[in-house]
Amino acid sequence: MSPRRNTERRATASTREPRRRPGGISPRLYGLPRGTTTLLTLISAAFALFILAPLVWLLINSTKTQVNVYVTPGFWFARPFRLFQNLADLGRNVSGAGVYLRWLGNTLLYAGIAGIGSTILSAMAGYGFSRYRFRGANSIFYLVMSTLLVPVSAISLPLFLVYAKVGLVNSIWGMILPSMVSPVGIYLMRTYIDASVPRDLLDAARLDGAGELRVFVRIALPLTVPGLVTVLLLTVVTVWNNYFLPLVIFSRNSLYPLTVGLSALSQGAETGTKANMVPVLITGGLVTILPLIVLFLLLERYFRGGALQGSMTG
Amino acid sequence: MKTAQRASALHEPASPVVPPRRTRPARGSRRSQWPGAVFITPHMLALALFMIVPTVYAVYDSLHRTRLIGGTTYSGLANYRTVLSSSQFWDGVQRVLLFGVIQVPVTIAIAFFFAAIFDAGVVKFDRFFRTVFFMPFAVPGVVAAMMWSFLLLPHFGPYPQLLKAVGLGDVDFFSSGLITPTIILIVIWEWTGYNMTILYTSLKAIPREVTEAAITDGARLSTIILRLKLPMVRPAIIMLLFLNTVGALQLFTEPSILAAFQPQAVSFGFTPTLFVYNTAVGSGDYNLGAAAAVILALLIGVLSLAAFAVRRRNGEFR
Repeated sequence: MSPRRNTERRATASTREPRRRPGGISPRLYGLPRGTTTLLTLISAAFALFILAPLVWLLINSTKTQVNVYVTPGFWFARPFRLFQNLADLGRNVSGAGVYLRWLGNTLLYAGIAGIGSTILSAMAGYGFSRYRFRGANSIFYLVMSTLLVPVSAISLPLFLVYAKVGLVNSIWGMILPSMVSPVGIYLMRTYIDASVPRDLLDAARLDGAGELRVFVRIALPLTVPGLVTVLLLTVVTVWNNYFLPLVIFSRNSLYPLTVGLSALSQGAETGTKANMVPVLITGGLVTILPLIVLFLLLERYFRGGALQGSMTG
Repeated sequence: MKTAQRASALHEPASPVVPPRRTRPARGSRRSQWPGAVFITPHMLALALFMIVPTVYAVYDSLHRTRLIGGTTYSGLANYRTVLSSSQFWDGVQRVLLFGVIQVPVTIAIAFFFAAIFDAGVVKFDRFFRTVFFMPFAVPGVVAAMMWSFLLLPHFGPYPQLLKAVGLGDVDFFSSGLITPTIILIVIWEWTGYNMTILYTSLKAIPREVTEAAITDGARLSTIILRLKLPMVRPAIIMLLFLNTVGALQLFTEPSILAAFQPQAVSFGFTPTLFVYNTAVGSGDYNLGAAAAVILALLIGVLSLAAFAVRRRNGEFR
């Protein structure tokens, strides 16, 4: 794939996709019985309802009091309207389990640093594998690809065992550094650089006297921005949603990310007697997923279009 | 906790890992190649420190026994014997196998159904539906399980109330008989859209000429989808089978959140990962926990080898 085609594809992807793409086949050609389209659309709508219902429920119930969550109809609003009160409660230590806002800050910190770190590391490694042929490159690359199949969560307990030995339990770096390791990122960046960074351009820069690092930063990196965004998003989503690793390595609630904090809250909310934890749990859940949903709707093409197509052309 | 693993599939299904091409040396190939090794070093170092070292250390731990008095001693396979003779461990293994046997095919079947009809263009507003279906990908398992716990809460939840209203009586979704189907429901909610997206992309990659030729031959839509397109996206389906199964074997987040709502329904070894967690972190028995983790990892390793072999036989891998 030439870089030029790549730019074109991005240009079309960012404009609104027409419902019937010019290359598509008209559904009339299938000679379907009348009403088939309507029927299939209704089935799709039913499944969409199944998917959307919990999210709508979360939105509605973040406006309720604790009692009303249980005694009023789940899919409709009830007085009093407590959304702002509930949001304010996120800043208080209602349960003794910890403060939600602290967890939000932690998640932003972990996801942010790990995301940026893994993007830089993956870009460098992808570039090294793609544009140099040093000794052992192939075998190392195969080793990396074989770790692609290792589930990250399978590493969490071994990490905990090592941390217990070297004193990294309850250290934020114990969370951030392993999250930077991204075999997927290496694979993706390598594929992307193979496709969109012409060797001749790099050689020309070298002839002009640019050093290797300069060639990478000034010439190669700007050409790989869509790939970088995809790796960044993937890591951020992975860290944001990670539950097992922080659960295992953190025992202090001031270090919890949102996932572990919410799970601690939910345990208190159901078993404890402390008042007003359910609204915090529900509103907290809403605030946890909103940033990702917004990010996803804004950058959908990177999430799937870009990410998936990137692999097709590899 | 499945996210990371499954996220990797975003880049996988359609194209198996491409081996580095042995290209003709480019102009300027006389220049030194060592900077390449420098570029990959930081990431390789992190990979070694945070993936390979812990794995080796877990194996070491699993072969030892730590006592308060006497310190750490080599204990051979004793920890493995203890885990393998634990009925709780096998209970969990059985449960995730049953869970996987139902959840994986159902998820992929629903995903393929929607991917195929969206791909054929016979559904109105398909773009909207594709966006909605994929949305749970952005929802952490913790929040998904929490929402569903409230929705299904006996007596109070909207869904049990709905079932009661239509005359099905008081359904307790958290009872020991229904807890596994309930978790299946939640996982289907979480992952169908993701599977659908992968399959949709694979289907879109099939040249339109193939479909046009079939239409000219008078093939029905269902024939085109099931007999023509389904075999063509087999690589993607095998990849998804593998990823979903690995995810099922590692089931942890959903049951551990449900445990908060219904402690009696989710036991110590409800799933193997819960067993590992409760043994190592809960009870502080690192050695036994490590042994259980290694057994689980071996199980997953065997599976990935199987998936690899199938793809290799199909000529998709090198």
